[in-house]
Amino acid sequence: MSSLIWYLYEFARKSWAESFAVARTNPEIVETPDRFRDFPEVFPEHCISCGACTAACPAPNAIRLVRSEDTAEEEGKAYPVINHRGCIRCGFCAEVCPTVPKTITCGENHLIREEFTILPTDRMFVIDDYLCIRCKKCLKACPVPGAIYEEDNKIIIDQSLCIGCEECLNNCPVKGAVKGIFISHIQEQKEIINLVVNTLEESIERKRDDITHLSDEEVYKFDLSITELVERARSILANDELILDTFQKITDRLKLRIVTWDEDKCKKCRLCVDECPSGAITYDEKENVIKRDTKKCLRCSTCYQTCPFGVAGYFVSRFLLDPTSLEDGVIHITVKASQLPIGAD
Amino acid sequence: MILPIGPIHPALKEPVRLKLKTQGERVISAEIDYGYVHRGIERVMQGKTWQKGIFLAERVCGICSYVHTQTFAETFEKIAGEKVPLRAQYLRSLTNELDRIQSHFIANSTYFKALEHETLFMYMLHLREPVMDAIELLTGNRVNMGWNVVGGVRMDAEEKHLNSIYQIITNLENEYDKYVEMFDEGPLVSLRSRDVGKMSKKDAIKGRAVGPIGRASGLKHDVREDHHTYQDEFDWKVIWRKEGDNYARTMNRFDEIRESIKIIKQIVENIPPGDVRTKIDIPAGYTDWRNEAPRGEVSYFVETNGNLIKNISIRTPSIMNIDVCGKYMLQDVATVADAVATYASVDPCVACTERVVILNEKGEKKEFDGLHNVKYLK
Ligand code: SF4
Ligand code: SF4
Repeated sequence: MSSLIWYLYEFARKSWAESFAVARTNPEIVETPDRFRDFPEVFPEHCISCGACTAACPAPNAIRLVRSEDTAEEEGKAYPVINHRGCIRCGFCAEVCPTVPKTITCGENHLIREEFTILPTDRMFVIDDYLCIRCKKCLKACPVPGAIYEEDNKIIIDQSLCIGCEECLNNCPVKGAVKGIFISHIQEQKEIINLVVNTLEESIERKRDDITHLSDEEVYKFDLSITELVERARSILANDELILDTFQKITDRLKLRIVTWDEDKCKKCRLCVDECPSGAITYDEKENVIKRDTKKCLRCSTCYQTCPFGVAGYFVSRFLLDPTSLEDGVIHITVKASQLPIGAD
Repeated sequence: MILPIGPIHPALKEPVRLKLKTQGERVISAEIDYGYVHRGIERVMQGKTWQKGIFLAERVCGICSYVHTQTFAETFEKIAGEKVPLRAQYLRSLTNELDRIQSHFIANSTYFKALEHETLFMYMLHLREPVMDAIELLTGNRVNMGWNVVGGVRMDAEEKHLNSIYQIITNLENEYDKYVEMFDEGPLVSLRSRDVGKMSKKDAIKGRAVGPIGRASGLKHDVREDHHTYQDEFDWKVIWRKEGDNYARTMNRFDEIRESIKIIKQIVENIPPGDVRTKIDIPAGYTDWRNEAPRGEVSYFVETNGNLIKNISIRTPSIMNIDVCGKYMLQDVATVADAVATYASVDPCVACTERVVILNEKGEKKEFDGLHNVKYLK
């Protein structure tokens, strides 16, 4: 009862009514320290839509490139948008952005970024100095200032600035002067290379009977379908672009040397056994035959040059991928007898 | 009877299950079960570039997030065979010590909360606040600082920042003893801490206790002794105690804060001019590195192909400390409340402990026996 009276007394006071009428929470005291790193700030007008920021961001879906709609006057422009729910405010996007002035800034830390070599693609572009004709078309085409420069009459790509946009590759007039190398999945690429080389060698070995009797002028041609090869390559690495790139590089570059062995001509003189540098050729006393171990063979052609009876044959083969796609492609194989000098006949 | 506490329980900061074997109020022995917040962060890091990895490493642990980035960066610098500029080393140590102070404060405050001494709990947080402000002033962020990069630190500290840090640290030093005294001489708090949850030096060695937990039981070892910056540049000493009870663990942390304040003062007074960041090219390689986190030794094992992280394995201190707590400390404790306080006194951090679970072929949990296992885990 007494408390009720107390309440009534309390509520009846003027000061209570006054304070109730103007009740307000105190203003929040928020001081932003001068180095506080807020969410990144975006200035869309500078963006060159290279995608370096999205590739660098460690938080999933925190940053995305969007493109505004085309209007009658202007093409749409791409620019990054930050998702504040995903962003962890690390400021990495601001570090890697190559534009000057900056498209993205995040706190104070966007001024230094030397060692950040995050490429938006998994390719690295290098210039083959031997093929380069110094036309500087790549230099003009590159959207990043300083990414391609000339030094000592050489064109050099700075990997830490490269954003992987392929402009240099597309603008280069010389085939092979700018190379786009896949820097990811090195191990898998090696496996694919081994797979292709082994298959090619086996397929040539199978035709040995046909090619042993080739004369100097003749060339022997046959085709190998790559359907099965592609399937096996895909089981190593599911990336068609990379598989095609690897296939093409192998067939462009590879020159296989094949050694054949015609046992019927052999007179067991055993000259080749001593000459072979890898010990691939041995004499089996019990059976009285000369044996050649294809696994140890270096394809150096020493036996071919040594043998007075022409037991060993030596051929060079070249390859061409046609068409340059993974569907229904074949590898044209050309085998030709070697022009090397041969021992006494 | 068996008294289960957790995994979700108001007395625990993080999900773990304490199984206390009790007889009346007395706790005979205990078992600790973990595995409730496993996140597999190492697996997430694999196949990512090292530039991104450092931001993920920061998220291994919440409270001692800083030292993970430093260890990550130093592991990669070791692979590259380079050291960062001296100014960057000083700034790293500065942040490391600030981080240690705030971590120790929060560890002690949770201990006081477990003792139901809320006054000291609030006082500890009150002391911690200016240290957090100092961290924010220096790095721009409070908890996940994004401050280290491989090759140095993100930005330079200006004179005015260092001065205000010095100010904050001096204020802290002046106020500090009052609160330590409250714990040290307060009859009730001491009574509940002395001779509770004792662990002998032998047990600490057997259980491989690290950090303040090991040092409170007489293991005179601090990984900072082996760190080049601390070795060459600063004058400091390893804090250790003999008692091995809750009191010793808490006091050990208090004393370490005093030592950290000493180091910070030296840093601010002697910081050399120069660069704070260098360009480092990472070759392919494999190496390991250890650092002293606030809770003890944290080690990183990293294998990289120069661009991507191929394998990474992180050992955080809490995994051993939680283990020794269950094995040696929670034996013959007078009351259940004391058992909970003992658990809190080891400053357990479950989130940083649980990163990988190894199963055998049958799908049962398997003991972790080194990196060898992880390597072939695909
Ligand atoms: S600040 Fe970090 S998390 Fe946020 S958008 Fe940029 S890179 Fe992504
Ligand atoms: S890195 Fe910079 S220029 Fe490239 S897309 Fe992002 S914001 Fe645009």
